[in-house]
Amino acid sequence: MSNGVYLQLLATTTGVLLLSAVLQVWGRSTVRAIGLLVLQGTALAGLVLTVGVHAGEAAAPLVAGLVLVVKALVMPWAMLRSARVIGVTRERSARVKPAIELIGAAALTLLAYAVSGPILGDRTDPATQAVPVGVSLVLLGFWQLLVRGSAITELIGFLMLDNGIATISFLTSGGLSLVVELGATLDVLLVVLILGVLAVRLHAEQGHIDISELRELHD
Amino acid sequence: MTPLGIAVPFVDAGLLAQLLLGALAILAAVTVTARWRSVAAGTAVVAAGLAAAATGIAALLGAQGSGLRIPIALTVTAPLDPLVLAPDRLGGLFMALAGVVVALAALFGIGYAHGPAASRTGWTAFAVFAVGMQVVPAATDAMTFLLAWELMAAGSTALLLADHASREPVRRASVWYAAMTHLSFLFLLAGFGVLAAAAGGTSWASIAAAGVTGPAATTAFVLLTAGFATKAGLVPMHVWLPRSHPEAPSHLSAAMSAAMVKMGVYGLLLLTLRLLPHGPRWWSLVLIALGAASALYGILQASVQSDLKRLLAYSTTENLGLTTTAIGVGLLLRESGQIPVADVALVAALLLAVSHAAFKSVLFLAAGSVLHATGERDLDRLGGLAARMPWTSGAFGIGALGAAALPVTSGFVAEWVLLQSLIHVPARSDRLLAIVIPITMGIVALTVGLGLLTFVKAYGIGFLARPRSTAAAAGHESGAAMRVALVVGAMLVIALGLVPGPVARALAGAVSAEGVATVGGAGLSLAAVQVVLNPVALTVLALVILVPLAAVNVVLARRYPRRDVELAWGGGGQRTGPRMEYNATSYSEPLVRVFRGPLQASQLVDVAYHDRAPLLIEQMTYTQETGDVVEERLYLPAARLGTRLGDLARTVQNGSIHRYVGFSFAALVLVLVLVAL
Repeated sequence: MSNGVYLQLLATTTGVLLLSAVLQVWGRSTVRAIGLLVLQGTALAGLVLTVGVHAGEAAAPLVAGLVLVVKALVMPWAMLRSARVIGVTRERSARVKPAIELIGAAALTLLAYAVSGPILGDRTDPATQAVPVGVSLVLLGFWQLLVRGSAITELIGFLMLDNGIATISFLTSGGLSLVVELGATLDVLLVVLILGVLAVRLHAEQGHIDISELRELHD
Repeated sequence: MTPLGIAVPFVDAGLLAQLLLGALAILAAVTVTARWRSVAAGTAVVAAGLAAAATGIAALLGAQGSGLRIPIALTVTAPLDPLVLAPDRLGGLFMALAGVVVALAALFGIGYAHGPAASRTGWTAFAVFAVGMQVVPAATDAMTFLLAWELMAAGSTALLLADHASREPVRRASVWYAAMTHLSFLFLLAGFGVLAAAAGGTSWASIAAAGVTGPAATTAFVLLTAGFATKAGLVPMHVWLPRSHPEAPSHLSAAMSAAMVKMGVYGLLLLTLRLLPHGPRWWSLVLIALGAASALYGILQASVQSDLKRLLAYSTTENLGLTTTAIGVGLLLRESGQIPVADVALVAALLLAVSHAAFKSVLFLAAGSVLHATGERDLDRLGGLAARMPWTSGAFGIGALGAAALPVTSGFVAEWVLLQSLIHVPARSDRLLAIVIPITMGIVALTVGLGLLTFVKAYGIGFLARPRSTAAAAGHESGAAMRVALVVGAMLVIALGLVPGPVARALAGAVSAEGVATVGGAGLSLAAVQVVLNPVALTVLALVILVPLAAVNVVLARRYPRRDVELAWGGGGQRTGPRMEYNATSYSEPLVRVFRGPLQASQLVDVAYHDRAPLLIEQMTYTQETGDVVEERLYLPAARLGTRLGDLARTVQNGSIHRYVGFSFAALVLVLVLVAL
C-alpha cells in the first residue's frame, strides 16, 4: 500500500467515524441511530484494516473482520431486536434542547482537538494525527450518555464511547493484538446483550424506557 | 527534706495503686449485685482517689518516680517516645487535686447514685473517668497524655448519658458535651502533632529540649490553647458547661467542674511553662483576654441564673477565667522581666485552681443533696432549707463563702494573692503593662463583686427564708455518706483559707516560684510585693471583737422577748408569705436591666383578667428568660451553616444516573484539560 493511498484511507475512515458520531447527536429516531452505529462499526473495521496492513501485521484482516462482525452486525442487530420487541423507535422527549446538544457536541470536538495536541507531544506520524477523532468519539459518547434519556440511546452512547477508545488504541499502538481486542469486544458485546434484555424488562415494568426517572436500587 | 530513698518507689507504687484500684472499681461495678454495687465500686473509687491524692502530694513535695511504663507496643515508624507515667511537681499538684475531688465525689456518690447512675455502666464510667483524669497530669509524653485525656472524656460522656432514656435535655446536653470534648481532643491532637513534628519526639523532655520557635511554635500554641480552653470551659468554648453540669448526676458534675476543667489549666501551664516557655508577648495577652472575658461573662451569666446547677456551671467559667488571667499576667510579667511579681501571679493561679476545686466540689455536692431531697434545682422554687437540711445548708454556705471570696476561706486567699500581684506591678517602665494591668484589675474587681452578689443570691434565696414550693418544704437531710463528703469538703475550704502559708509554699514549688514564705506557722508572706496575710491572727482578732458583741446580743434578746409585728402591706390581716419573698429572678432583676445586651434578656408579663369583671386581674405571670449570646451568635449560625451544607450535599447526590454520568464526564474533561495545560 503506497503512502498516498494509506493517508487517503486513514482520512476517509476517521472522517466517517467523526461524521457518524456528530450525526448521532442530532435526531431522535432509534432506527437511524442504529444505522449510524453500523456505519461507525464499518468505518472502525476499515481503520483497523488500514492501520494493520500498513504496519504489516498478519492478523490485521482477522481483527478487522472480528470488529466488523461484532460492532457493525451483532451489536446493532441485538439492539434493533430489543427496540422492535419494545416497539419504541423514537425517543419520548428531549432532556436537552437539540440546539444545545449540537453546540455541546461542537464544543467537545473542539476540546478534543485542543487537548490532544499537548497530550500526544511531538509525535508526527499520520496515524497519531488522527487521534483527536478518537477523543471526540469518547467525549461525544459521554455527551450522549449525559443528555439522552432512553435506555437504547444510552446504550448507543456507551458503544460510541467504546468505539472511541478502540480508535485511540489502534491509532496510537499501530494495531492491537488479536487476544486483547477479542477480550474487549466480547466484554462490550455481553454488556449490550444484557442491557438489551434489561431495556425490554424496563419497558415491561413501567411502560417506557426513560432511565432518567430511575432513582434508587431495589433488592 | 523528703526522704528520697523511700519516696522514689512511693510515686510509682501510688500510680500503680491508682490503676489497680480503678480496675477493682470496674470489676466491682460489673460483678457486685445492685444492692451493694454503689458501696463496693464507690469505695474502690474513693481509695483510688486517695491514692492519687497521696501520690500527687508526694510528687508536689519533690518526690520523683522512676517512671511507670505503659506496656503498649506501638508498631509505627513515627518518632514516638515510650509511654511513661511520672508526675513532676506541677503534675503532682493536679493529680492530688483530682484525687481529693474524686474521693469526695465518689464518697458522695455512694449515697447519692440511684437509677442509671448506679448501674453497672454508671459506676464503670465513673471509675474510668476518675482514673483517666488522675493519670492525665502524670503523663510525660503526648501519647500517654492524649490516651488518659480520652479516657477522661469517654468516661464522663458515658456517665452523663446515663439518664438519657428518661429525660430529653440529657440527650441534648450529651451531644453538646461530646462534640465540644472531641473538638478539644482534635485541637490537642493537631497541636501536639505540630510540636512532635517540629521537635522530633513526643515526650515533654524532648519537646522542651528542642526549643521549638517560629511558625511551628505559634501554630502549636494556638491549637493547644484552643483545646485546653475548651476543656477549661473558657469563653467562647464554654457552651458545654451550662448544659452538661445541670443534667449530669451531681457527683459527676462536682468531679467535672472541680477537677476535670482543671486539666485545661494544667495543660495551659504545661504548655507555657514547660513545653514552650519562651513565647512572644502576645501569647500572654491572648491568655489574659481569654481569661478576663470568661471571668466577666461567666459571672454575669451566673448572677442571673435561677437554675442552681447552671449558676454553678457559669461560675466555673468565671473561676477558670480568673485562673487563666492569673497565668497570663504571670507570663506577661515574666516576659517583662518582673520575675518576683510574676511568681506571685502564678502562685495565685494555682491557689485559684486549688480553692475552686475545694469550694466548687462542696457546692455541686450540696446542690446534689438538695436535688436528691427535693427534686428541685430551680432557686425560685427552693428556700427554707437551712432548717430542714442543716448539714447541706452549712456546707453550701461555706462553699458559697469560698466562691464569693470572703474570709476565712480558700477563695479569699486566692483572689487576695491575685489582686496583690496585680496591684504591685511596677508598670511605669512599660507602656503595655501600664495599659493591660489596670484593665485586668478592673475586670477582676468587677468579677469579684458580681461573684459576691451571685452567691449571696444562691445561698440566701435557696436556703434561707421560707420554702417556695411543697417540694422544698418537704426537704430532708441526706444520708451519712453524703453528709461526710459535704463536711470534709467544707472543712477543706476553711482549712485552705486558714493556713495559706504552707499551702502557697507547696504550690510555689510546682512553678518554681520564689519569695513565698510562711509566717507564724500558718500565715502567708509574699516578699516580692511585701505583704503578709495571717488569717489565723485575723480570725482571732475578729473573734475577740465579735464574741462580746454576740454575748451582749444574747443577753439583750433574753431580756426583751420578740414581738410579733403585723406588716403594713398585709392590710393588718396577713403575715409574710412565700410569694412576698425575694426570689432569684427578682433579686437579679437590676443586673438584667444593666446587662440586657450580653444576657439576651427578654421579659414577658402575662395578665389574665377575670371573666365576669374585665377590670379585675385574676392572675399575673412574669417570665424572664436569658440566653447565651455566644451560643446564639456563634454556635447556632455555625450549626445552621452545617445543616445547609448537608442539604446541598444531598442535592448533589440524588440517585439520578445522569447526574453520576455527569460527574464522571466532568472529571474526564477536567483531567483532559489539566493534562493538556
